[in-house]
Amino acid sequence: MLKHHKWKLFFVAMSANLALIASLAVADLKLLAEINWLDVLSEGGAAALALVWLVLILHSRPTGRVTQYLSLGLSGIFLAGFQDLLDEFIRFPDAVQWDHWIESGCMPIGLYFLTLGIYHWHKEQLSINAQLRKRERLFREHRSMDFTTNLSGADYLRKQLTQTLPEHRHATNTLALLLIDVDNFNEINRCYGHQQGDHLLQSLSELILLSIRRNDLLCRYAGDRFALILPNTGRVVAEKMASEISMLVQHFAYKTFTQDESLFHSVSIGVALTSIDSSTPDSAESLIERANLALLHAKEKRRMAMQQAA
Amino acid sequence: MSHNLHTAYEDVSPTYKPGKYFEIDTSFIPAHQWPSTMIDLALSRGMEEHKLLRGTGIFFEDIATNNLQLTPQQCFQLIKNMQKHSHSQEFSFLLGHQIFSAPAHPTTHHNPTTHHSTISHEKNNLHNSDNLQQALDVLLAQQIQWMPLLNLRSVYEQDRLVIYWQDACGAETTQIFLLEMMFTALNSLTRWRSGESYPWEFYLTHKKPDYIEQYDVHLNSNVQFSSQTNAMAIARDYLHRPWKINHSDQFASNSPIESHTSTALEFQRGFLAETYTYLQNNIRHNPNLEQTAVDFGMSNASFKRKLKKHHSHFQAQYDLARRDLAIMWLSQKGWTNEQVAKKLHFYDVANLRRAFKKWTGKLPQAIEKMG
Repeated sequence: MLKHHKWKLFFVAMSANLALIASLAVADLKLLAEINWLDVLSEGGAAALALVWLVLILHSRPTGRVTQYLSLGLSGIFLAGFQDLLDEFIRFPDAVQWDHWIESGCMPIGLYFLTLGIYHWHKEQLSINAQLRKRERLFREHRSMDFTTNLSGADYLRKQLTQTLPEHRHATNTLALLLIDVDNFNEINRCYGHQQGDHLLQSLSELILLSIRRNDLLCRYAGDRFALILPNTGRVVAEKMASEISMLVQHFAYKTFTQDESLFHSVSIGVALTSIDSSTPDSAESLIERANLALLHAKEKRRMAMQQAA
Repeated sequence: MSHNLHTAYEDVSPTYKPGKYFEIDTSFIPAHQWPSTMIDLALSRGMEEHKLLRGTGIFFEDIATNNLQLTPQQCFQLIKNMQKHSHSQEFSFLLGHQIFSAPAHPTTHHNPTTHHSTISHEKNNLHNSDNLQQALDVLLAQQIQWMPLLNLRSVYEQDRLVIYWQDACGAETTQIFLLEMMFTALNSLTRWRSGESYPWEFYLTHKKPDYIEQYDVHLNSNVQFSSQTNAMAIARDYLHRPWKINHSDQFASNSPIESHTSTALEFQRGFLAETYTYLQNNIRHNPNLEQTAVDFGMSNASFKRKLKKHHSHFQAQYDLARRDLAIMWLSQKGWTNEQVAKKLHFYDVANLRRAFKKWTGKLPQAIEKMG
């Protein structure tokens, strides 16, 4: 990421250098005994930290307006601190005023831009949250994120279910869990390589994300199996959504890397709902188990139908 | 393989002499086969090359040269390194799907001319088998080329065929990875060739893991953990069901066999597996450490050292061999405790019971089918 920002870093380094050269040109070095080391430590430390923040920000962020503001702000704070530090080593003649200007000017300007940057960062984060909402639902754990699809994995699914299920015990509405399995997925891996397979999974996950509601959560269960939590959803709606997803996938013309070839797929979906009978409350495991069973049945049904058709 | 077992309780058969075995530090596993697939997968999942190869003594550049041969130890280390990746639980299963299926686009490390050598011809056989029985025959005959780190035995038990998978040369913790990989591989092969998912039953000695979802998806849920042995079983009906003709294979069945052969071909099996086989086949001689060492052509101390190098010791191997015989005799042959005790050279039935309880956690009468 840093190489996209090399001009910004170059600008900061140049400014600091210019300040140093200009200071040395107009003033004399202090004697060793005159230097207040406590001040050096605190002012130097502040400048160094501002620099560390700048590098971290530049390292983790793509270019754009927010990054521009943040880096301008932190650069200003750094330059102010740096000039302050130079003061500790260099005695400026009274006639020279510009060093004060750098010190007192850069700081408020820097703080202004930093504030502006953080404000826009906040706005940006809100809009990213809105996008991530269907993937993470109010709880963030970057370690559980799946490498292929950027969805959370089965661990996260179990955690979410364990958290959500008690709420549903008292509510009248059920929670639905859908397990979505791509039919003949291994054919893709076999014929086109596993990178193509990974890409297909990623595309399918985006596709499914588009067709679910704000409060639903999509996870990657394992392999080519996705899990979809539908809170406050009865059987009718759950099955409607399942058939919608199934139709969506059937009409999705997936393009392979190498040829202008379109591949069409189908999915089998297993639906499980929390039991309304409060004497046998569902655990995450039992719900997943039932959804897995329903999925096996759906696959079997599909196979029978295919055989009859053929 | 199974005929060795049957000789074990026929007193007329001659003493079994150990065959040629490989050790944990024998270089014979061609790096461009499954190890290279493994490395490709880890790299494609964002693992760094130096972390993946750390401590293995493998240089990335050498893999491409196509004549690099790895030791089992290097493979184990490679697996251990892979397992440090944050999403490593699915690796063994993903690899399993690739083991028996030739990729249509060979990976970059493969030199196409030599890649077509021995192994691709055998893949051919496996791919063009007409049914499961044929495929298993090919697999059993060529197991050293496919997966030398696990030793396979197939045994008919009543109405089903059971394939036992056993540590060949000291896999330790990586055995679970290897089992997951090979179970998935065979399941994936039968599914691909038959067009339906076969009702395999899987038995694994380790406890049910946290990442149970991988088993659900890749092995169709029919898995029993904390079992006595690592095995997979299928009803005999499935052995001869015809498979569709494989059109998709890029290699024609008459593809030329090239002279290039891997050194793997000279070996019978891994050192531990050979010790186990020796002990089982010579059980009527009541084998001990001294005699076994002599038959393996070395001193007591050397034999002990060799077992230690493979993370085992004589008693462990002997117990394992006797345990499996006892289970087989009790459950398959329907022998009485007295008969088993006598065959295994126990002083009396009480001693057998005590030993059996120690080996399996159960009493002999609790053993019916494998479980």
